[in-house]
Amino acid sequence: MPEPVLSIRDLTVEFKTEDGVVRAVTDVTYDLFPGETLGIVGESGSGKSVSVMTMLGLVPMPPGKLVGGEALYKGRDLLKIPKKELRNIRGGEVAMIFQDPMTSLNPVFKIGDQISEALQTHRDGLSDGDARKKTIELLELVGVPYAERRYDQYPHEFSGGMRQRAMIAMAIANDPTVLIADEPTTALDVTIQAQIIEVMRAAQDETNAATILITHDLGLVAELADRVVVMYAGRVVELGDVHTIFNSPRHPYTVGLMNSLARVDLDREWLEPIPGQPPSMISPPPGCAFHPRCAFSRGRERCRTEIPPLRGFGDGLAHLSACHFAEELEAQHVTAALALEPS
Amino acid sequence: MLTYVVRRLLYSIVVLFAASFIIFFFVSVSNDPLSFLRMQPTASEITIENISERKHLDEPIPVRYLYWVQDMFTNQFGTTTIGDRPILPDLTRVMGHTLQLVIAAELIAILLAIGIGVYSALRQYSAFDYSATTFSFVGLATPVFWLALMLQVLFVNIYLWFDIRIFYTANLSGIDPGTGLSFLLDRAQHLGLPVITLAIASIATYSRFMRASMLEVVNSDYVRTARAKGLHERKVTMRHAFRNALIPLVTIIALNLGALLSGAVVTETVFALDGMGFYYYNQLLLGDPYPVMAWLMVVATLVVVFNLVADIAYGILDPRVRYD
Repeated sequence: MPEPVLSIRDLTVEFKTEDGVVRAVTDVTYDLFPGETLGIVGESGSGKSVSVMTMLGLVPMPPGKLVGGEALYKGRDLLKIPKKELRNIRGGEVAMIFQDPMTSLNPVFKIGDQISEALQTHRDGLSDGDARKKTIELLELVGVPYAERRYDQYPHEFSGGMRQRAMIAMAIANDPTVLIADEPTTALDVTIQAQIIEVMRAAQDETNAATILITHDLGLVAELADRVVVMYAGRVVELGDVHTIFNSPRHPYTVGLMNSLARVDLDREWLEPIPGQPPSMISPPPGCAFHPRCAFSRGRERCRTEIPPLRGFGDGLAHLSACHFAEELEAQHVTAALALEPS
Repeated sequence: MLTYVVRRLLYSIVVLFAASFIIFFFVSVSNDPLSFLRMQPTASEITIENISERKHLDEPIPVRYLYWVQDMFTNQFGTTTIGDRPILPDLTRVMGHTLQLVIAAELIAILLAIGIGVYSALRQYSAFDYSATTFSFVGLATPVFWLALMLQVLFVNIYLWFDIRIFYTANLSGIDPGTGLSFLLDRAQHLGLPVITLAIASIATYSRFMRASMLEVVNSDYVRTARAKGLHERKVTMRHAFRNALIPLVTIIALNLGALLSGAVVTETVFALDGMGFYYYNQLLLGDPYPVMAWLMVVATLVVVFNLVADIAYGILDPRVRYD
């Protein structure tokens, strides 16, 4: 196995709020390997973005607080290196694409200048003219038509999809080794989403960057990701390659997600939602945080009292699940899938 | 932008025309211009008759309005009813004094308030932030006349105890202030206290606005984007956040300037400062409508002009606002 380019180890982050302390992520651990796309899925508030935001120093502290853990990038812990070095990595070797292109671009500066700024921050002595030329190339690469002219336009003169293209251009400006896309298509309408997925692909091909794709859109994950991290209530509950996760999930939450997904490969009459609400992050349920909503727990005491550790299946650490009864789940899910088979 | 400005100027003429009619009509019906003279035992019937005839007071209001408009353009806004003084020179003089007062006070206030507001926002809930907030609320809650009086008392006592005379009375037109440095020193001594009084009120307001808009901006997505680019924190704040946070403040300042140039009536009155506000107050006491109407006309013009200034400033700062 190759060396991971990025390793998150036991990362725990808390937020102080008026109602109490929220533990946004607990003992989150995952690796990102060169060239791969890692999808991080989970519902809102499950801590999807917090791990990467913390790693890049983009979580305001306070109210945020780093309780423990490491974020190793090329062997260096990003959580401990001096601010100046982190700044050099941020936007250079590790770049981000944000969720909402409507608000993520500064309304009072020209689009082109905002991208040039990213270039000039990381390349000393790059002249304004050269930065402009390179920016126009980037804009063309992400499919912004009339790039020369659109360089001088302001964000409000761009549509949502075009703005997201500009954001992607900004993120890949410095040939990053790691690209983090935080819900890159969520704020866009469906037709534009498909285009942006194509742009993301092109961007990956161009930079060959390892990508973390944070999303709650399982379709997007199936489309782009090689491996998947499933998060629930601030913990990683399942981790595996995309086929394993979609075809033989070993955590009841993932099973629930799959059952609530419209799929063309399964002929289903009804989509089954996961009952209940995501738990309060201030006082999460004891034991497994998912047990109050879990269809497989069936009131077993172990689910209520013991926090299930993340453990591997079969072929080593390629497939991990945090369920006490994951083995049992396999049989369960197979029968469930069979029952759904068209007759 | 130029087309917009020209168009706005044309609208302004219409607005001012309407304003002139309203001003003339309401001031004319509110008071008999001769009432003051009629109360003077020394003013004979003949004198009053003469004045009435000279100022066309025996004509109906629309006709008097036309005479007034004619005077406005050709005859320095006409003359006062009592004393027959031309009005415009007096207005120009008090306007000059008010300009000195307001420009000095606002410059100080804007610079300090921006500094205080930005720093408060960046260090939210720090000791500095709490002190600045307390100062602002106290500043806003303090009546201007009281503050002005207290400042007078303070500096009079400093004079009495230590024999140090820092500020003078605000008799601005008494002696020739000279030019250059001696002019500045003379104005500083005369206008010091009124400037402090006015500035405190403005600082309190502006710094609250600056803090609020800066806070809104530093937590916005595009500031996070700027940070994610790897920009230095100073550049994130000064380039990306500050420029956006300034937009609402500029509008408030431009509108406030229009109001302040009509004279900080209370401040000028307490300090007996020969400015717009003090002039207006005195003319109202005299009950002579012509200076009052001339004053109102000038103020209406100022308000219209500064509204336009606010809009233009807005358009320059915010590319989303385009007027063509």
